[in-house]
Amino acid sequence: MIEFRNVSKLYDTGTEAVHDATFSIDKGEFAFLVGTSGSGKSTLIKLILKEEEVSHGNIIINGKDITFLKPRRVPYLRRSMGVVFQDFRLLPDKTVYENVAFAMYIVKATPKHIRRQVPMVLSLVGLSNKAKMYPNELSGGEQQRVALARALVNNPSMIIADEPTGNLDPETAWDIMNLLNEINARGTTVVMATHAKDIVDKMKKRVIEISNGVIVRDDKKGGYDSGK
Amino acid sequence: MGSNYLIREGVKNVFKNKKATMISLITMICAMFLFGTFFAIGENVNNLLEQVQKNQGIEVFIQKDATDEQISELEEAIKALEGINKTTFKSQQDALDIMKEKLKDNQELFEGYEGEKNIFSPSFIVTLTDLSLATEIEAKIGAMENVKKITSNNDTINTLMKIANGIRIAIGIISILLLIISITIIANTIRLTVHARRKEISIMKYVGATNRFIRWPFMIEGVIIGMMAAIVTLLMVGAMYDFVIQKIEQSNILQTMGVTLLQFPEIVNLVAIVYVILGIGVGVIGSSISMKKYLEV
Repeated sequence: MIEFRNVSKLYDTGTEAVHDATFSIDKGEFAFLVGTSGSGKSTLIKLILKEEEVSHGNIIINGKDITFLKPRRVPYLRRSMGVVFQDFRLLPDKTVYENVAFAMYIVKATPKHIRRQVPMVLSLVGLSNKAKMYPNELSGGEQQRVALARALVNNPSMIIADEPTGNLDPETAWDIMNLLNEINARGTTVVMATHAKDIVDKMKKRVIEISNGVIVRDDKKGGYDSGK
Repeated sequence: MGSNYLIREGVKNVFKNKKATMISLITMICAMFLFGTFFAIGENVNNLLEQVQKNQGIEVFIQKDATDEQISELEEAIKALEGINKTTFKSQQDALDIMKEKLKDNQELFEGYEGEKNIFSPSFIVTLTDLSLATEIEAKIGAMENVKKITSNNDTINTLMKIANGIRIAIGIISILLLIISITIIANTIRLTVHARRKEISIMKYVGATNRFIRWPFMIEGVIIGMMAAIVTLLMVGAMYDFVIQKIEQSNILQTMGVTLLQFPEIVNLVAIVYVILGIGVGVIGSSISMKKYLEV
């Protein structure tokens, strides 16, 4: 599903954010990317999203080598993945429903399809009764659930989450994790960058640790720290 | 459908950002108004010159001993030249009559010049379709048989040509300047909207929107502002034009010159087409310029 082959990323400033990374995440897997800030986690995510270009090596997504993907093909790559961020990134002047429907307009879904699909995803994340509210009327956890609904609405084959619990209190964070777990159980691949130690330790999922741009650990059922 | 969504977003942009929209509307109207004024003046100058050109004839005097046959041969030869509008034959008698008419009060001068004793030469009055060919045509006619001499108003012709070219160049330069100003204004307005919506744009990019899809609402915004400016300006220019033309026509200057001005309906199509192209073009180019930076995610 996601395969990195000897990938390095050298920024123009001269910093090597990722060095010779090789790993692969299979369909249906749940994988944590862990590491301190500045370790290269975010760069890995950006490389998957094709927000940054690879300096060396190859990245294969869904069986297609995206290393030299043309810029105008990038939007179509991104449609195969749902993205969730630490800061939710919702549109403040659109309701919950509109925020989710927005993602469907963009892929030119029919109005009929939108009217059917949006309520379905909203009920999946447990926000059916808040469809008409605006983001600023919601709690952080609820906002993140809207973001998750938006990420899911076009049925992507994978969810890429960059610190999705970073702005949430522990209890709310677990709500989101349970939701991600549920989504994963339905067959969607989940890749989540985080430095929330307790979450990683309790979930017992695959852990890929990056430190100073180098993949230092890849445990099938790991904890945040090695040896757990 | 998707396209409805895009148009709706574009229209929303126009009204969401009322202040910026108003500023760019007013500035664009000013620019387009100036452009329209110069355009109307230019069209009239061209039209006047054309009329003057048609009246500006050269007179080709024919040898007195030329036979009728030779004269009609000469006429055919002149008509065959490029750039000839019309040839009018003026016989000896015609020339005498014209002179008599001019000197009405001194008819006694003409006694003894009637019939066989007519001293005038027959001639052709030749008018041209394009004054820039005057010198060339004169040379060609001068080389023909039975041509005694040619008179023309070379100085007038040259002056007219110079004025016409000067006006054309000036209007061209002014139009280009106004175009640049309009594009900059629109680009700036849209940059404000784009900046206000950069978050939305980045979200759109992450969800997989193509650049074209993102650009549409902004382009529509630009085109709407451009078109609004175009319509308002067209009405303003129309009203002003009619008013000015009326004043000029009342003053009788043109009648004495034997020329007429264009009426607004005669140029309205051209002005409207130019405005529509300007409005759309400025909208599209302006929005492209202001979007560039934000699409590189």
